[in-house]
Amino acid sequence: MLRFVLRRVLTAIPSLFGLLIITFLLIRVVPADPAAALAGDNATPQQIEAIRHQYGFDRPITEQLFLYLGQVLRFDFGESQFSHRAVGVDLRQRLPATLELAFAALLLATALGIPLGVIAAVYHNRWPDFLLRVLSVTGIAVAAFWFAITLQLIFAMNLGWLPLRGELSSGIVPPPSVTGSLILDAAIAGRWGVVADALQHLVLPAITLSVGALATITRFTRAGVLETMQKDFVLYERAVGYPRWRLVWVYVLRNSVIAAVTQIGLLFGALIGGAVVVEAIFDWPGVGNYLVNAILTADYKVMLAATLMIGVVYTLVNILIDLVHGWLDPRLWEQP
Amino acid sequence: MRITRRQFGALASAAVLVHNIPADAANPDVLVPGWDLPANLDPHQVLDVPAQNVALNLYDNLYRYEGNPPELVPWLAESHTVSPDGLQWEFKLRDGARFHDGSPVTPEDVVFSFQRILKIGKAPAAAFLPVLKPEGIAAADPRTVRIRLEKAYGPFFSAVPMVMIVNQKLVKSHDKDGDWGAAWLGSNEAGSGSYRLIPDTYTPLEKADIERNEGHFLGWQHNEHPIRRVEIRPTKETSTRVLALLNGSLDLTDTYLPVDQIENIEKSAVAHVNRNQTMRIFLIRMNNTKPPFDNVNARKCLAHAFNYKGFIDEILKGNAQRDPTPLPNTVWGFPRDAAGYEYDLKKAKEYFNKAVADGAPMKRPVEIHILQQLEQTTQAAQVFQADLASLGINLKIVSDTFPNLTTSTGKAETTPDMWVHWVSTYFVDPENWVGQMYDSQFHGTWKASAWYKNPKVDELLRKARGLVDQEQRAPLYEEATRLIVADSPDIWIYNTIELAGMSNRVKGARYCPVGSGSEVRWMSLSA
Repeated sequence: MLRFVLRRVLTAIPSLFGLLIITFLLIRVVPADPAAALAGDNATPQQIEAIRHQYGFDRPITEQLFLYLGQVLRFDFGESQFSHRAVGVDLRQRLPATLELAFAALLLATALGIPLGVIAAVYHNRWPDFLLRVLSVTGIAVAAFWFAITLQLIFAMNLGWLPLRGELSSGIVPPPSVTGSLILDAAIAGRWGVVADALQHLVLPAITLSVGALATITRFTRAGVLETMQKDFVLYERAVGYPRWRLVWVYVLRNSVIAAVTQIGLLFGALIGGAVVVEAIFDWPGVGNYLVNAILTADYKVMLAATLMIGVVYTLVNILIDLVHGWLDPRLWEQP
Repeated sequence: MRITRRQFGALASAAVLVHNIPADAANPDVLVPGWDLPANLDPHQVLDVPAQNVALNLYDNLYRYEGNPPELVPWLAESHTVSPDGLQWEFKLRDGARFHDGSPVTPEDVVFSFQRILKIGKAPAAAFLPVLKPEGIAAADPRTVRIRLEKAYGPFFSAVPMVMIVNQKLVKSHDKDGDWGAAWLGSNEAGSGSYRLIPDTYTPLEKADIERNEGHFLGWQHNEHPIRRVEIRPTKETSTRVLALLNGSLDLTDTYLPVDQIENIEKSAVAHVNRNQTMRIFLIRMNNTKPPFDNVNARKCLAHAFNYKGFIDEILKGNAQRDPTPLPNTVWGFPRDAAGYEYDLKKAKEYFNKAVADGAPMKRPVEIHILQQLEQTTQAAQVFQADLASLGINLKIVSDTFPNLTTSTGKAETTPDMWVHWVSTYFVDPENWVGQMYDSQFHGTWKASAWYKNPKVDELLRKARGLVDQEQRAPLYEEATRLIVADSPDIWIYNTIELAGMSNRVKGARYCPVGSGSEVRWMSLSA
């Protein structure tokens, strides 16, 4: 198992460097001049030129790339041209909020998607299956911003059940930062009112983010369960009168869920990417919001570091998914 | 840390069974504006509308714009004098002004602030770099600052409010590698303003909390219920911003409220729309170096082909004021007799034919770049596209961003055929508009992206810039503006009426085009 993990980690490193180099080159292809953006609204060409020189934007692009890669190898992601703050520090500050949102969405999608997939398969070609198929196609097709605004109108404006935006109500002092996650930090501090407030703020963004993933997991679980139910051992178990639902939940599901688990790993990446839109709509202070601001202001070190960080999280989650695969099917450890 | 089942149950109940959550902003002495935050908090590095919103609360300046139309009023300075040749300026500081750390505001702080702006060399420096050297600023006595300009510069006094005074000792103590404290002041403040930053609350571009400075030199007698704390919460999406205003979780929106949201707010019982005539012109630029825009008849054809009234009345529902020139019609130096161009497709066709006769390639496809985040720029381009099609001109709309455009306008050959934008008020002087937009010495800046060149206009603008007396300068700007309008280098559409959503509980707000009425010291909150 250790060899397996080591191999996965080692193959991830060149991928991440590839990601960094491609992102670096793509950013520099875009005509936005960070020096012009940095100089501000009223700046003269001379001011812009001075800033371009000061930040080294006038050096050859390969030289800039190698300098940057050297910095990254030392875990130095540079500083934001605008805030002058270390990008690494800013990302650490924002990552927990994005992870909180993505995990909540994934948890919701998995907790609902797998049972719904099983139900759809068990009631194959009957009304629960039809209904779930329609809902899952809708879930994949629906635009996140439309769904978010609909949820805001219903649950925040009309019913007044949940907050509209942000991660904490006005006037509440956040707990001291330990993990960076507001919910965990409030729980550690024993401030249950803050935990409840933060959870309320999490509900609408998490539901919005989870919809696409929920639909995908439902469809993959359904397909997996349907396939497994055709296997001989299921026929045998049914023939000997094994309780139907126990058979489905204990034996069929375990043999069917691998494809869905793979999807969960891939979906996590999509959720982190999708968080960009959801964070903007709900003013969720995560990496997505940070990245959008950076793109709009051509703050290229932030763009690079945020992209790399999303890549790292995505890779780590996929390694984790591989481990879960191994747990579900130990034969995988043996593969070269 | 263990959570008991009972605690978990209580928690789950609290989280789920929630009805009618109280509005976030209901706190009677906490204001929650949805303003954008600037890229960083240093007023000497960033100059834009969000930076003004913050700086006018955290910092003081020597003179400040107040009211609408804006007037310069003494602020940290109690008075000033200027030599007859316009070169030497003296500002006498008032007694009793103190920074947030309790130290007095001295002439040395003012000297340091001016020098810091020049050394950092970012946006606020543009107005001073051509006429001021660091050694030209000195403390004349314990209450007086003396500034000696390299040459007379009419807009100098108008630009003085852009210089926010920082606490020299505090900023110097955070200097890192000779950066003039730039890294530190980007996330902190060193001001004397009516409000002070609560540093732990600041997350760049996400949030910042500020609290009232009870010891501010101006006192608080004018405001019986000043606001204790302000929680600035930028709200990116317009729909979220408006909904938040309507459910009471925001008190103020920004001033770029789209017209289609106005009805929603006006129907509400909890908020209203503030309409204020400001000094922010909206225009379509033309790259005068590229055919057919290098032909005056082609430019006049296009100027007659934009449906000004239709755009203002139908798209903006009348929430703008037609302005046929590059100067806001509310600033001095505006030529009252300038008629500009009206929407008239017949005239447009006549000019079209003249341009074709001149050899201008009127049928070539033309690109117009819009600012993708600002819907109105798209709407203007779409209105234009329909009318130009009827003339046989193929207008292609290209989505773009402001950083991209400010970069591409650095050279004539990379400047788009046309692009749409606003020019806001940074200092109240015609120089901010016609001066920097049409004097050819500014070619290469986004403001001068028409690449217009008329030696007579250059001469008039430079002469006006070298005079101090407004009465002498005004006719020069009027004449220059008339000449510019006659050459039709751009298509000037309107002067903005700012639309901002405001909660009904906010009282006493005072509007000024500089800062868009964001000075919290005048506001209070009703119960």
